[in-house]
Amino acid sequence: MKKLAVLVAVVAMFAFLAVPTARAAEPIKIGAAFALSGSIAVYGEGFKKCIDLAVEEINARGGIKGRKIEIVYEDNKSNPKDCVTAVRKLITVDKVPVIFGPAGSSNFMATAPVAQENKVVLMSAQGAAVGLTKAGDYIFRVFPSDTLQGPHLAKLAIGKGYKKVPVMYINNDWGLGLKNAFVDAYKKMGGTVTDLIAYDEKKTDYRTELLRASKGAPPAIVNLTYINEGAVQFKQAFEMGIKTQWLCGSAARAPKMVELAGKAAEGVMGTYPSVPQNTKAYKTFKEAYKKKYGDDKIPIFGDYNYDMVYVAARAIERGGTTADGIRKALPAAAKGFKGVTGDKSFDNERSPKFAEYGIWIVKDGKIEDYKK
Amino acid sequence: MDSISYYLQTVLNGILAGCIYALFAMGLTLIYGVLNFVNFAHGELIMWGAYFLFLFMGEPFGLPLYVAVFPALALTGCLGLAMDYSVFRPIRRANRLTLLIAAMGLSVFLRNAAQFFWGAEVRTYGFEVKAGTQFLGLYLTTQQFAIIGVTILCVIAVYLLFFKSRLGKSMRALSDNLDLARISGIDTKRAILAAWVISAVLAAIGGILLALDTNLHPEMGIANLIKAFAATLIGGVGNLWGALLGGLLIGLAENIGVLFISPGYKDGIAFVIMVLILLARPYVIIGERSD
Repeated sequence: MKKLAVLVAVVAMFAFLAVPTARAAEPIKIGAAFALSGSIAVYGEGFKKCIDLAVEEINARGGIKGRKIEIVYEDNKSNPKDCVTAVRKLITVDKVPVIFGPAGSSNFMATAPVAQENKVVLMSAQGAAVGLTKAGDYIFRVFPSDTLQGPHLAKLAIGKGYKKVPVMYINNDWGLGLKNAFVDAYKKMGGTVTDLIAYDEKKTDYRTELLRASKGAPPAIVNLTYINEGAVQFKQAFEMGIKTQWLCGSAARAPKMVELAGKAAEGVMGTYPSVPQNTKAYKTFKEAYKKKYGDDKIPIFGDYNYDMVYVAARAIERGGTTADGIRKALPAAAKGFKGVTGDKSFDNERSPKFAEYGIWIVKDGKIEDYKK
Repeated sequence: MDSISYYLQTVLNGILAGCIYALFAMGLTLIYGVLNFVNFAHGELIMWGAYFLFLFMGEPFGLPLYVAVFPALALTGCLGLAMDYSVFRPIRRANRLTLLIAAMGLSVFLRNAAQFFWGAEVRTYGFEVKAGTQFLGLYLTTQQFAIIGVTILCVIAVYLLFFKSRLGKSMRALSDNLDLARISGIDTKRAILAAWVISAVLAAIGGILLALDTNLHPEMGIANLIKAFAATLIGGVGNLWGALLGGLLIGLAENIGVLFISPGYKDGIAFVIMVLILLARPYVIIGERSD
């Protein structure tokens, strides 16, 4: 046992010594634990395209202080277990200081403690769950947290003249986080929350919850719900003759919800994070994408992935190639940086401080952008 | 909505939820009574029943609802028999724990099988959503009329079968004492098969009603099984009428509770009642039962 400890210590010492001697001309490695196979592989491919585009641009301009960036892709097979394996491999074998983490909040959150324990920076470009970066100070995201959505939803409610609303929400991290953000903002804007109704997900009977929310026939009800739960609720409310304006978050914004709820979903509104595509930065990005890949259909979250590379590169430029240096440099590197998805400044939770939100509405069985 | 109909609607909602729980609980308690173990795979009979209907209503069959129900119920009955034949019959004499674990394994298997065929996504039979008709200030849809009506019919059918037929009598005898029933010349095999078919068909009826009212999902069975289990315990395991009353009681308590405390504790209400009743006196609702 003692021998083993000595051996480990010696190996660790060599490993430690090996780090600072990295040659200047060698490329800087960044890990990417992406879904290249499995159920969400279609997303992974799109992210990879946009990451490669950004890397190509940075390298064409001479890289970071003369060193090129190289992305080490590792397949996370779209499930939490293999996500952890992929991240571990990137940390122990490739020894990368930064990893672009897996898509899907549960996948990402499975890997976050691993990165945090090993003191390696882990970044997300598509996680919206409120607690996504909770694991520690090495975990960052460039995609807005749902906490930012609360004030926008409050603004929507007030803007439409709804000064008093009951609030229904899914009783989990996401629902609770968004509920708190909404209620705080709504009260500050002069709104009154008449009732708070938490409910469990995956239920089949929400009738009495709905009945309670509809007490006093409120003109609008805020409902922070998912696809399936939302569909069941809108259906049951419709059957019970509850007529109100539903105001939701982004999680219910899915064609599947409308398909399940049918005409009961008609008129349902909500907020969602949107990227204005008419900015100069976005147009340049779109052109570059078209030049490289031949079409201008930007993959979903591709723009956020593209920005993530630039944010990481700026941090490496300032903080050097150690994970600790990058972690410390990230807030300053992102502050005021205007990416294609907007201002990428971080807040105290290492999530974007700012985000733009759009409004969606179900109209004639389709989800559309709401125009006033 | 004025306050009397507000409360009446809540009671109605409770009865609707309770009917579904009761249908599940009756099937569950029947198997317990006859074979003396909790069939944790009962939730999967519920789910498969609903999916069988989905199968016959979709391509390539395209049958209308009232026709498609029959093959769907028949297939679920067969599934119940197949469960018994392949898993439970070989270990009939094993202890309860073995049976319980076998049932849990079977439940996972059947749930995954459904996911394999139909995927994990939520599905619907695709009926147009209709606003309920107003009836004494209450809203009731056709599906909800169906839930209450079909539950009453099932209760009558089960009553006739159990207390007015020889088969029912033999099942009751089995439930009282398997060995005694056997030496008295009762065809126990036939009675056990009948119990499986009835349990599966009740599960399928409940599952179909639930799916008509809401949606189809591979986890729809397991999610409601826990409530059915609570209903069974409240009513006294093995007791059919107890299961019926237990189901209704849980449905009502949950829904009325929602009006007064946070609905986040909806499940808690059911279980608090269950625990209290078990603590106070087991089988308190209906009679005594000796195991």
